[in-house]
Amino acid sequence: MSEAEIRKEQEVIERSKKEPQAFGEIYEHYFDRIFNYIYRQTDDEELAGDLCSQTFVNALNHLHKYEFRGFPFSAWLYKIAGNEVNKHYRKSKGKKVFSIEELKVKELVEQASDGWDEEMVNKVINYMNELPTDMIQVLELRFFEDKDFKEIAFILDITESGAKMRTYRALDKLRTHFHIKVKYNG
Amino acid sequence: MRRQRLTARGTERFRNYDAVLRQHEQEKRMKKIVRVFTFFVLIAGIIVLYVMVNRWEKKVKSKDVPKKEVRIKSNR
Repeated sequence: MSEAEIRKEQEVIERSKKEPQAFGEIYEHYFDRIFNYIYRQTDDEELAGDLCSQTFVNALNHLHKYEFRGFPFSAWLYKIAGNEVNKHYRKSKGKKVFSIEELKVKELVEQASDGWDEEMVNKVINYMNELPTDMIQVLELRFFEDKDFKEIAFILDITESGAKMRTYRALDKLRTHFHIKVKYNG
Repeated sequence: MRRQRLTARGTERFRNYDAVLRQHEQEKRMKKIVRVFTFFVLIAGIIVLYVMVNRWEKKVKSKDVPKKEVRIKSNR
């Protein structure tokens, strides 16, 4: 996101603090991304729809508290969305789900020689199932949402170095586990 | 793992800013009601406390006043 875009977004947000109708522009812009982010963590369309709506309602309710900290507004929305998902799992006492699109995993992992096959997909699924939740969260934000480490740290309430450490650790595991090249290096 | 992410068309049925705005207004109104109610409860509490302290003070004062004894001496 360019600086001009961030500045324009801030103007819309300042306007939204006085007239909530203006927030519609932000809603339209980020709806799909936030929906998919929640959907990946719930694997339930209806639930993702509800939590996504609640995310935007909460954002509107607390918009007066929002302060620009150098990140795009989406970072704040991702943070609220993450909190909503956690709240849901705490209430339902269910097991947290991470569902990732196959295409995204293919994007993440560039195989050195062999072609991508079902067996490899299954291996990656099994491997990811074994990864701790905090590592998957960081991988998800870094590679599937294209967030930088500063933003990830803000969204997950961790330090920037903590975010980097988690990512590199997960990537190292991927490299050694599958003997493959990982497209991104963080 | 899923084959595809939900497309914009797939998420369209969940997209409803009017509903979000309505819920926001409703929660805002509710918050206001709770705030006004809390304010009145607080004021009522202070008044009740004031009255109770007043009564207690009066009670203590009335106990402190020495009892008067009137004796009539007879010269007979």
